[in-house]
Amino acid sequence: MMSEGKGKIAIVGIGEVPTGIYPERSPWEILYEICTQAVQDSGLDKNDIEAVVTVAPQAQARLTAEISFGKIPEELGLKGCKDVCICNAGGASTSNCIRLAEQLITSGAARAVLIPHVTVHSCIPMDELINFFAQAGMDLQWEYPFGTTYNAIIGMLTRRYMHESGATPEDMASIVVSLRKWAALDPNSMFFNKKVPSVEEILSSPMVADPLHKRECNVLADGGAAMVVTSAELAPKVTQTPVYKLGEGAVFFTACPVLRENDMMTRGFRESAARALCEAGLKKEDIDIWNIYLAYPVGHPIMMESLGLCEPGRGCQAFMDGITWPGGKMPWSTIGDAVGRGHTGSGVSTATYVETARQLMGKAGERQVEGAKFVFQNTSGGSGMNNIATVWGKELI
Amino acid sequence: MKDQYIKPIPVAQPWTEAFWKSSKNHSLMIQKCGGCGSLIFYPRKRCPECWSSELGWQKSSGRGAVYTFSIVRDMVEPKFVSDLPYVLAMVELEESIRMMTRIVECDPELVQIGMEVEVVFDDITDRHALPLFRPADESLRITATDGDQTGKASEPALFMSPDDYQTILYETGGTNGAVCRITLNRPEKRNSINRRMAMELRDAFGRVREDRAIGIVVLAGAGGSFCSGGDLDVFPSLAEHQTSLNWLAHEGLDVQKAITDCEKVVIAKIDGYCLAGGLELALCCDLLYAKESARMGFTEINMGILPGWGGTARIVRSMPVFRAREIIYSGRKDYTARELFEMGLLSRVFKDEEFEDQFEKAVALLASKKPIALRMGKEIMAKSADGGSIDTALAVERNGIQWLTYAPDIQAMMDQFRKSVKS
Repeated sequence: MMSEGKGKIAIVGIGEVPTGIYPERSPWEILYEICTQAVQDSGLDKNDIEAVVTVAPQAQARLTAEISFGKIPEELGLKGCKDVCICNAGGASTSNCIRLAEQLITSGAARAVLIPHVTVHSCIPMDELINFFAQAGMDLQWEYPFGTTYNAIIGMLTRRYMHESGATPEDMASIVVSLRKWAALDPNSMFFNKKVPSVEEILSSPMVADPLHKRECNVLADGGAAMVVTSAELAPKVTQTPVYKLGEGAVFFTACPVLRENDMMTRGFRESAARALCEAGLKKEDIDIWNIYLAYPVGHPIMMESLGLCEPGRGCQAFMDGITWPGGKMPWSTIGDAVGRGHTGSGVSTATYVETARQLMGKAGERQVEGAKFVFQNTSGGSGMNNIATVWGKELI
Repeated sequence: MKDQYIKPIPVAQPWTEAFWKSSKNHSLMIQKCGGCGSLIFYPRKRCPECWSSELGWQKSSGRGAVYTFSIVRDMVEPKFVSDLPYVLAMVELEESIRMMTRIVECDPELVQIGMEVEVVFDDITDRHALPLFRPADESLRITATDGDQTGKASEPALFMSPDDYQTILYETGGTNGAVCRITLNRPEKRNSINRRMAMELRDAFGRVREDRAIGIVVLAGAGGSFCSGGDLDVFPSLAEHQTSLNWLAHEGLDVQKAITDCEKVVIAKIDGYCLAGGLELALCCDLLYAKESARMGFTEINMGILPGWGGTARIVRSMPVFRAREIIYSGRKDYTARELFEMGLLSRVFKDEEFEDQFEKAVALLASKKPIALRMGKEIMAKSADGGSIDTALAVERNGIQWLTYAPDIQAMMDQFRKSVKS
């Protein structure tokens, strides 16, 4: 029996520009490029796009306003467009854009939906940028006055995880090694073809928020990605390689990290994944790629343990042993998460969906996981306020 | 009370004001629901458990344990930079409430998960106090002066007033109200610079910026010497790479900036020894007046290193470069002030027996000028000397003078000047 959310929509086209630092490129130039690529990849005509649902670019109020008020379909001449909106849930935004597309499609309001994201951090004045990221996701009353930063919050989570699991600094650094190994093979990463740092090199980088080293933090970067979503019925008629959404599960934790109870995250990761897999009718053994997006290293072992893919407290071992690396038995975050990709605001989540589709379309080049049929993917917003788990497949089952 | 608190102040809601009011009275309150009895953190308008609006308060024991923490060392907003490193922590109170805070009065390296702590309050403004936590175990506590030479920065001291300075003197309101005197005051150590002195200098130059009446700062040394450089007691701690880097980048650069960015004309009064780090301090000043017999030089190269508090960078911008190089390379500590004046470095040298008189005359002359004109002059000349195009420098100059021309009471002064010229 097919459950409610299963197999209603498919990604049929993707577009992306490499992540990097290019202040000379305007966001609109990037939007043109990724949207054109995605529509052309889908096999649809530009006028077949009936709605544009955009992932909100963070820290860019002017661009957000332009996109909110319909500039994308106008610029691109999407003559068939009936509706437009922007969606913001931080790093979880892309999941919500896809859900909105699903509603538009299943209700008959739109047959094909374009979901783009662009962020050009490098053209935002540095003080504004520091200010934005210092305050975003922080409570102005209960956190910010004490000097919280994203790095410091993650530093605290990392210390707690190390305390509970006995993980060593070497264990934590090995996660970065694994992520960067994927990034080195990814032409869309800012670390493409760059030497992968060793555990020793990571640990000898300066301490930013002890126990978090500089090379365990994210580099802010510019980038953009887009996808075209249609109904599952229409998808195989327009493309040879539709990528179906098979299941979903979501859980909300808290806005303030300090209020997150001890096992809230592990329980939430587990339950949302179980729901997504159950909806898809799959078991975790069926999953070929774990496309995990958590923006910093520490979430990865917690996720792996929560999903029951390793012994409790042993989440780092797979990263150390190469099981998660390219060619490993458990391909994990095949764009290298934000650490490997460069942090494009909420765009890492868009890029992760695009990668999920790319792998299932068989277009992932050197990173291609042979015979990949099913991909598990998650997104998470704010300072880790929630987790949205999804399962994708190259065929309806 | 600090003059100006530039870090973020908690943005309260009407229903959380009681919490902050209690904090100001150094009492930590926890919200309690009258409906279901839940203890609530942070305070809400309705109980998040039962949605009751009958909410009251219970005094917390103020004791708890560290749930987790991070030693923040880098990549913070400029307003938090002076706090680095600081220990951000989540503390779990005995009442099972968890809150974000900082651990203070403790060597960051000694903080541990599970460490027992008790609340202390940091009075940040007249109306706000932040609840912070310190070790419950008194033997783990350090006061601001302890961490001094250990290389591990202690929580920066919150100077309540210049009376709290231990290594410098800070005097205003003497016979000339426009002059502030900051005197390095460790004569037993020839006024060598330690961490505490660096911190106090930063605070003092920040403080004097805020005093509008002051136009001139005299930086001098007590006991017949200006300053003999960095305190050798600091050096063992510099064996550690990061600590050494921080000594240069945090203490060092911050002190230089505090002097160069201070919007007053800073006059170095140089006598006795003015060596190494002491000469670097002098080079940050606007005018260098020296006693003929003062001994000066950069001795760093004798230890196999080089000046790191701006000495190399500033001296080549302060005198003919072929002479500057000799001072850096030779490591000589016996240059007399007269010699350096002739080489083109100092503003002026005075004979030993006339030094005090002549120096005070020079100070009095400058102190008779308008503080805002001095301030603008300092800024224009600094920007101009920094390089950039002549057009930019001229624009800075034009705009500065135009601004001055329309500054309050300057018109009246110009009128007076015109009249006196006519008569």
